Amino acid sequence: MAKQEKALAAQSEVGVAVSTGVGAIPRRRGGVWAEPIQDVVLRVAGVLALVLVWWILSLIFPPTLVPKPMETFGEVAAIITTGDFFYEMGATLRRVLVGFGIAMVVAIPLGIVMGTLRNLESFFEPPVILGLTMPGLIWAVLMIMFFGLTETSAYAAVAITICPMLAISIWQGTKSIDKDLVDMSKAFHAGPWSKVMDVIIPQLISHILAAIRYGLGLAWKVVVVVEMFGFSNGVGYQVVRGFNIFSMKAVLAWAITFLVVMIVIEFGFIGWLERTVTAWRPKIEAWRR
Amino acid sequence: MAYVRVEKAVKYFPREDGTDMLVLDAVSFETKEYGITCLLGPSGCGKSTLLNIITGLEHLEQGRAEIVSNHRDAGKDAPRLGYVFQDPRLLNWKRVENNLIFALKGMGIPRQEWDERIHKYLSLVGLLEFRKQFPLYLSGGMRQRVGLARGLVIEPEVLLMDEPYSKLDHLTARKLREYTLEICARLKQTALLVTHDVEEAAYMGDRTVILSPRPARITDILDNPLPPLERDVDDTRFIQFKKKLLQSVMRLVKEEV
Ligand SMILES: Nc1ncnc2c1ncn2[C@@H]1O[C@H](COP(=O)(O)OP(=O)(O)OP(=O)(O)O)[C@@H](O)[C@H]1O
Ligand SMILES: [Mg+2]
Repeated sequence: MAKQEKALAAQSEVGVAVSTGVGAIPRRRGGVWAEPIQDVVLRVAGVLALVLVWWILSLIFPPTLVPKPMETFGEVAAIITTGDFFYEMGATLRRVLVGFGIAMVVAIPLGIVMGTLRNLESFFEPPVILGLTMPGLIWAVLMIMFFGLTETSAYAAVAITICPMLAISIWQGTKSIDKDLVDMSKAFHAGPWSKVMDVIIPQLISHILAAIRYGLGLAWKVVVVVEMFGFSNGVGYQVVRGFNIFSMKAVLAWAITFLVVMIVIEFGFIGWLERTVTAWRPKIEAWRR
Repeated sequence: MAYVRVEKAVKYFPREDGTDMLVLDAVSFETKEYGITCLLGPSGCGKSTLLNIITGLEHLEQGRAEIVSNHRDAGKDAPRLGYVFQDPRLLNWKRVENNLIFALKGMGIPRQEWDERIHKYLSLVGLLEFRKQFPLYLSGGMRQRVGLARGLVIEPEVLLMDEPYSKLDHLTARKLREYTLEICARLKQTALLVTHDVEEAAYMGDRTVILSPRPARITDILDNPLPPLERDVDDTRFIQFKKKLLQSVMRLVKEEV
């Protein structure tokens, strides 16, 4: 009985969304798995198409310019089996995550403060906009000149490059906070910590998730640049090494492994995070066709 | 028991052009010792303002508004007030029970009482089985009931409700009025209900305070001859009382027009 009511309630939610124009909820044929499977097939086909284009190019150009896909994948396998991959990727990941963490810890309070206190908004707006405009490459150079070739400069370059973007995203999100809920929290005497954690941050969650996506994307780019400047490990260093011995195969193999890890984090980890923190929202997929 | 006493309350709001706008003009009334008192008046007359004054969100230019309680040294602690808003105003990312906990925590209720209270008040509003559900999976009426449970769970001296049914459809609103009336009667809860609906006031109010259009003055204070659980919208005694309220309100409107 409880289940039924739940389903009814959920359906009425869907009904609201649907009434904005699309019509009845489409009944899927072929069971629950038909759509996901079709999805996977399409994705795999997309990847295969890319490889095909690559293979055609490799027939046209000499292997020093465009190596054969299979040989490159062989190189990828070699990188992974020798264990180099885990060492280098670990170093790069650590730099990304530490820098990202620092940026997040600074950006969330900064964004909230900018969105809620008018004076501080005016005060912080110029530096944040300035920081956003500055190319990551320049931050990387500045940080290396300042901290030398240390881990600190990698962390700092990543953090400072993405921080403004995160802060802006959260700042904008703060403006759409529901004032009625804030009033409600006052009426029930919620403390400042509870107000932030229970009322404000949950309303920012989609902005924070978007910020994480963009932020990680930027972080990868910056960290590779920093590593190219003379670090002795990390994916960026390996790419430069491949460049120095003019091995297109090595450069591509490292780029591919790097891409795969990024994609796993993007779709696997962030996707999972998103599903977990938005479980309270009924899924309305009917409007997407 | 606790009740609300307002004496010669005068309230101005500043207009854009610098002059003052009189909103409350010497408003005086008392609620009953327990039961529901309705504030009935046209839109914009200052009902919400009056609530805000009682809760201390707005201050008075003259007069006083207080919550008189024999449990509490009135000078010392702030009164414990429960709110039910026009829309449910739930934290949609928290399960039903966590929405109640949010209020319990805010009001400083000891943790060991939480579970029992949640159980009691969710049962009262008939939502015990939805304790672990997220609000957006509930219907509008059920959400409003969660809002009611949240207002009650802190066991307020006075429960304040500002047009809590005006956003619901007719049937749901009717059902919810029944619910609220029954619960408040059972708990002997003192409550203040703001409304501009005469029938709602006749049905819900043990006492109805009728306010004039702005600036609000008290034009009538009528006590309901029927006890809460004997009000039946088809009963002649109910209809008579409703007429009496309506006449009182219409007289004002005529003066206005
Ligand atoms: N903070 C404020 N500053 C200036 N004027 C205000 C303020 N709050 C309310 N008013 C004015 O005071 C009057 C009474 O407002 P109030 O919200 O109390 O009316 P109400 O009786 O609750 O109306 P409704 O039934 O539409 O909710 C209105 O004319 C409103 O414009
Ligand atoms: Mg109002």
